Amino acid sequence: MSDFIIHVAIMSGFYALLALSLNLQAGFGGLMNFGQIALFACGAYASALAFRFDLGVVSGFVLAMVAAGILGWAFASVGRNLQADYWGIVTLALAEVIRIVATNEDWLTGGAQGIGGIPPLYPGLDNQLRQIAILVTVALLVIAAGLLCRHLMGGRYGLAIKMMREEPQLAASLGYDTIAIKRQLTVIAALLAAVSGFLFARYVSFVGPEQIDSSETFLIWAMIVVGGLGNNAGAIVGAFLLQFTFAFIPFVKDWIGLPTEYVAAGRLFLTGGGLIAFIVWRQSGIVPERVGGGRYV
Amino acid sequence: MFQFLVDTLMRACDLVLVAIGMSAVYSLMKFPNIALVQYAAMGGMLAIVLQKAGVPIGAAIVFSVLLTGLLAVLLNEFLFNRMLKIGSSTAMIGSLAVGMIFSAAFLVTMGPNPSRFALPISRPLRILGALVTEPQLVSFVIVLAAIAAFALLYFKTDLGRCMRATSTNEVLADATGINTARMKTVIVLISGMMAALGGVSIALKGEVDIQVGMDLLLPVFASAILGGLGNPFGAIAGALLISIAETAVTTINFGPLMGQVVVFLPVAYASAISFLLLVAALLWRPRGLFVSEVKRV
Repeated sequence: MSDFIIHVAIMSGFYALLALSLNLQAGFGGLMNFGQIALFACGAYASALAFRFDLGVVSGFVLAMVAAGILGWAFASVGRNLQADYWGIVTLALAEVIRIVATNEDWLTGGAQGIGGIPPLYPGLDNQLRQIAILVTVALLVIAAGLLCRHLMGGRYGLAIKMMREEPQLAASLGYDTIAIKRQLTVIAALLAAVSGFLFARYVSFVGPEQIDSSETFLIWAMIVVGGLGNNAGAIVGAFLLQFTFAFIPFVKDWIGLPTEYVAAGRLFLTGGGLIAFIVWRQSGIVPERVGGGRYV
Repeated sequence: MFQFLVDTLMRACDLVLVAIGMSAVYSLMKFPNIALVQYAAMGGMLAIVLQKAGVPIGAAIVFSVLLTGLLAVLLNEFLFNRMLKIGSSTAMIGSLAVGMIFSAAFLVTMGPNPSRFALPISRPLRILGALVTEPQLVSFVIVLAAIAAFALLYFKTDLGRCMRATSTNEVLADATGINTARMKTVIVLISGMMAALGGVSIALKGEVDIQVGMDLLLPVFASAILGGLGNPFGAIAGALLISIAETAVTTINFGPLMGQVVVFLPVAYASAISFLLLVAALLWRPRGLFVSEVKRV
């Protein structure tokens, strides 16, 4: 049982990184990224490709960062003159294109079968110890990413981003280059998502197109809306809450004696219902956004 | 060549009614309603379920379309109107959440396997060398009739005039004594019914499964945006354009261009093309090919 808890905690950590990254864009910057999973895919596939073509871990990581940086930059460039909801649709479309390419280009990505057998993190350790080591690594990364986000958003830069979200014309009139800020924000968030993807591939030792389905993006959205848009702690809380809830659906299903379809349906129902409930009754989420600057000014 | 035309028209039939509904609802409510594609899925599935329960097919279709329209009105009244008070992006996320609940409901009620109408199997007709099946013809006629009815309502009746007035300038329409809230309810009802009929037309031509709604999402968005969101009749042209592109990509032999005898793109790339068209449209013609009143840059 404790192995299972550790596994769920590790998965929650990966999602917490993604949620932090989406929260940077959506919560603080007001950018509706519906293609977040594509940035995760950059990391995961870079990790897998580095293994498949014997490039080594370090160059795989560099590849992940470069790919995610370019994609984040492209997202931001596309969104330069689009309203929030249209940018959402565009990013969703681009992410789907990436998924379709990943599914069909067998020579590169292994097609629908994906790339398996990726060596795990810490190959020298035995199973139990390795899980704990990974858990510690992921936990440290989440803490580091949370601190980074807090540092970014607590200072003047964060204030500029929040002003750009609330009053873009005011921000522009005060001399902030809103397009450049959006671009920086998207690229930083892209790199964070790619780190999560890179480690995720090494953890589950398999990368396939079904991992980068757009429904995963919607799941991350549910995490940050439930946790609290515009609050880093909220993103982490939301990720852990939803992952742990999902992990126990199969047990509930066995307990009541329902068929397997109900697990997938239960996940969908909880995600959608949670989103609706929080939007309608508690807009600010579990951990509301703190208004104003931080202690870092 | 005539087969190409038939294929294009059949694909356009799949998209056009849902795209018109999305455009119409956007012109009044000012948010892209993602749940609309699930109304289409529901329309098709409900009609199939009713037919299996012994209702004659015509009555099953009418009942399913009416019920879906009613559901659209209820959801709008109790959820989307409240979310719209917070913002259009919030309403978009909310409609996504509603879409997830629909998916969960389909999974529980219909199961993961595709289903179809129980229709007598008939030999395909040969028209000018192209193969056309009888259900395809029927669904084509249904779609044409629905478009004609909508056009008559929109352009020739008092109700239509009020709808157009409300979508062009809501405040002014309100001031001239038009009941804008009721106009919105009417257009939501119509869009829900159009979407459901679109789903029925898909179901007539083949099978529907629980994925059909999400698979429609991006091509329908692409059609509606190409036509200039908020311009329901632009959506027809948008749907035609998308289906031409999709059909061309999968039926044109790219061999001569690449120096080989036969090179066909995988069918999966058909949707990638429509997504790329969507992105291109938003980049270069963000107000759609057919400019409407809606400004969104």
